[in-house]
Amino acid sequence: MSLLSQAFRPVGSNRVDPMLVALWLALVVLALVWITPFIFIVFTALKSSDAVMNTSAFALPTEPDFGNFVSAWQRGNFSTTAFNGVIITFIKVPLGLFISAMAAYALAKVPMRFSKVFLALCVFGTMLPFQVMLAPIFKQVNAFGLINTYPGIILPYLAFGVPYQVFILHGFFAAVPKELSEAARIDGASHFTIFRRIFLPVSLPVLSALLILDFVATWNEFAMALVILQDPKMWTLPLGLMNFQSQFQSNYGELNAAIIMTVLPAAIVYLMFQRYFVAGLTTGAVKE
Amino acid sequence: MASVQISNVKKSYGAVEIMHGVDVPIGDGEFVILVGPSGCGKSTLLRMIAGLEVVTSGDISIDGKRVNDLEPKDRDIAMVFQNYALYPQMTVAQNMGFALEIAGRPKAEIKAEVEKAAEILSLTPLLARKPAQLSGGQRQRVAMGRAIVRNPKVFLFDEPLSNLDAKLRVKMRAEIKALHQRLGSTIVYVTHDQIEAMTMADKIVVMNAGRVEQIGTPLELYDRPANLFVATFMGSPAMNILPAKVTADGISIAGVATVPMPAGLSASGEVSYGLRPDHVTIGGQDAVSADVLVVEPTGSETHITATLGGHEIMIVSRDRVDIAPGSKLPVSLASEHAHLFDAVSGRRL
Ligand SMILES: Nc1ncnc2c1ncn2[C@@H]1O[C@H](COP(=O)(O)OP(=O)(O)OP(=O)(O)O)[C@@H](O)[C@H]1O
Ligand SMILES: [Mg+2]
Repeated sequence: MSLLSQAFRPVGSNRVDPMLVALWLALVVLALVWITPFIFIVFTALKSSDAVMNTSAFALPTEPDFGNFVSAWQRGNFSTTAFNGVIITFIKVPLGLFISAMAAYALAKVPMRFSKVFLALCVFGTMLPFQVMLAPIFKQVNAFGLINTYPGIILPYLAFGVPYQVFILHGFFAAVPKELSEAARIDGASHFTIFRRIFLPVSLPVLSALLILDFVATWNEFAMALVILQDPKMWTLPLGLMNFQSQFQSNYGELNAAIIMTVLPAAIVYLMFQRYFVAGLTTGAVKE
Repeated sequence: MASVQISNVKKSYGAVEIMHGVDVPIGDGEFVILVGPSGCGKSTLLRMIAGLEVVTSGDISIDGKRVNDLEPKDRDIAMVFQNYALYPQMTVAQNMGFALEIAGRPKAEIKAEVEKAAEILSLTPLLARKPAQLSGGQRQRVAMGRAIVRNPKVFLFDEPLSNLDAKLRVKMRAEIKALHQRLGSTIVYVTHDQIEAMTMADKIVVMNAGRVEQIGTPLELYDRPANLFVATFMGSPAMNILPAKVTADGISIAGVATVPMPAGLSASGEVSYGLRPDHVTIGGQDAVSADVLVVEPTGSETHITATLGGHEIMIVSRDRVDIAPGSKLPVSLASEHAHLFDAVSGRRL
């Protein structure tokens, strides 16, 4: 009780703050809304078909059964789709971030003609939703003969991901005091060293946030993959899941096991990188 | 150690020329301070020496070698910035050793150099800390340490003490001065602070609106300012400047007082009569009456603002003066320390 009531008091005060109570309530409600379907999915995935039919959706799986995962893995061809997802995501996300970070550094810190024009182009790029571009992209990728290939999907992903990341990182790099890179230049560092040794560490929180967002988005991307990856051997997890869903609609246990296996990697990446989210890593660089 | 030669340097941003031909000779091992009002181009000049700004025209040479087109790292200079610009993710030791590390020096040597500099600046206990865990004064010292470790030919400082409180500033002033004596290096130092300039410099360069007004030792500038600008800029409180006319009887000041021509000076016609506040005497035989506006006792001195013939003057007295605003004060403007300036050009006569 004392711990709970602590949460409702501002630090160093012993009066209950109604604002804090309201905030906590809102948080709890929100968490419930998000967790409920999740519980449903996990519980169902662990139940045998019999148990799914005969117990309530939110009843604890009394005899947890991992058989659903095994059979969904085989029937849904997860080894192929997971492999494709790993290849595409593990190439696209780091590569895209690296390109974006270098471009953003150059635009923000290297004196250049036309850098404003480039930045404007990037901003323009962030305004185009790629869904409206699917048909032209398909034609383009097809013209290059890249349908059903990894480059065929990675290149458009990069094209639509990079501008947005450049835009965010440019804002961040531009705010780093110019004296920092000047001091490093005097110390003899090249632009690449300044980028790697000073800007990358300083921007770790932003980079990890972008990495998480981009990883989840790429891992779960559906529309572009559907258009470009038509051969089932090239499918990614969301495509495999859709196919699985249409085939084994009524087998709730396996379906939910498939869903969990699809989203789990993204959740793991999120948990791995969220600790870098801490802001304020630049404090102390310069005297405010 | 090296000399620095700045010859006819001009700087433009786009079409706007902000520096109009600056010449500053800096001797080997000299401590040179650039002063001037905000926006006069001190930082720009310093940054041109460092190679952080392009020189529009003119030459900058270090040790007789023209450096206009050299990268900052190839000029053998080190710079201490007003906001210190410490690398936030690196420890104090890494910050200080960064330049040597980039230069590819062996680890053991870097460690030795960093420890030596840390010793000089009493930073040894802080070597493992990050900048965020340091006080302002400590950060300032790390920034200096980073410069020392490189053992550069020339140190450049851009208002390094302006973020420190008054007490720490006095302490760091002494430390920098001691450092200069110890290393014997050439230093170019920008400051707003009169006292800093007067106490630390071998040579002061007074700048105004992109031009050099005067170069000289602190006492030269104080005792023989070359023009009205330097006269009023150097010294605090500022020198009193009163319009005057040279007549047969001497100098008639603001139409209210006539004083004899100071020894060694000669002039005629309209002039500006300059007298430092501490050379205005209270009382005396040829005293005239001034109206007291403000009285500010500082403890050791009394600062009195008064008007004389419609002109405001400042009087600094070493004695406690017991006088109320609004009353009359007899003051004498006669002094062998007076300065005369051409009324039109402002040049010293
Ligand atoms: N990047 C720039 N573009 C255009 N004008 C500039 C630029 N940098 C400086 N200036 C101008 O150059 C002049 C000199 O600036 P500088 O920073 O050298 O002044 P300063 O003497 O160091 O002033 P302060 O004492 O305030 O630091 C100023 O008028 C300033 O507006
Ligand atoms: Mg400045």
